[in-house]
Amino acid sequence: MLIQLLTKQYPGMRLWLSQRLTALMMAFYIIALIILLLITQPAGFTAWHAFISPVWFRLATLVFFMCLFIHAWLGVADVLQDYVFNKTLRATMQIGVDALLIAYLFWLMFILWNI
Amino acid sequence: MQKSVNKRLVNRPKNLNLFTIKLPINAVVSILHRVSGIGLFLSIPLILLALQYLVRSEADFIILISWLNTWFVKLVLIGLAWAFFHHFFAGIRHLLQDIHWMTSLNNARLSSRILLWLVGIATIIFAFVIW
Repeated sequence: MLIQLLTKQYPGMRLWLSQRLTALMMAFYIIALIILLLITQPAGFTAWHAFISPVWFRLATLVFFMCLFIHAWLGVADVLQDYVFNKTLRATMQIGVDALLIAYLFWLMFILWNI
Repeated sequence: MQKSVNKRLVNRPKNLNLFTIKLPINAVVSILHRVSGIGLFLSIPLILLALQYLVRSEADFIILISWLNTWFVKLVLIGLAWAFFHHFFAGIRHLLQDIHWMTSLNNARLSSRILLWLVGIATIIFAFVIW
């Protein structure tokens, strides 16, 4: 039943599940991040740099932000559908949000690659 | 009978005065979930900028820290922390309701009340820590 609900026939279910899964992954990342920060308590540039530079941390951060961008995309699309009734305006705003989120992803990759 | 119905129709308010409507607590939590979500979406570039300054160089790091120490930025951070805590806790409440936990009306009201308290306490603790 669950598998059937996730087929192309029910696109809303896929969006619904994506929203929840990305939320869960972000929650785990943030809780882990807070615990790690409380343990290591980095102070000063060198300590922060050492905290962020391990490859596994940068990968986790990349995954976190990808989840954030998907989650934000779903949420903003819902909000636009609820409040912007003009179809052309809504489509334009949606394209703007899409472009913004893609730009954020490239920006983030640039930051993480250059550490 | 017919007459009383007609009278009710005539006496019906003709405009919608939003100030006469009091949102139930679950609706307050719901709309704040949406508002905080939009706020967090708008804050993404600020977070990325902060991350960039945090790791790019020691000079940028010092600029970032001096910015974070201004009262204005601290107020913005407290606002963002509120948005995060509300969205985070309300999201967890949603996930629990997805697995059918606390879904009766009274339980939902109770969890809303607990949530608003938790968000308030967490935000106040955050404000104390950064100030």
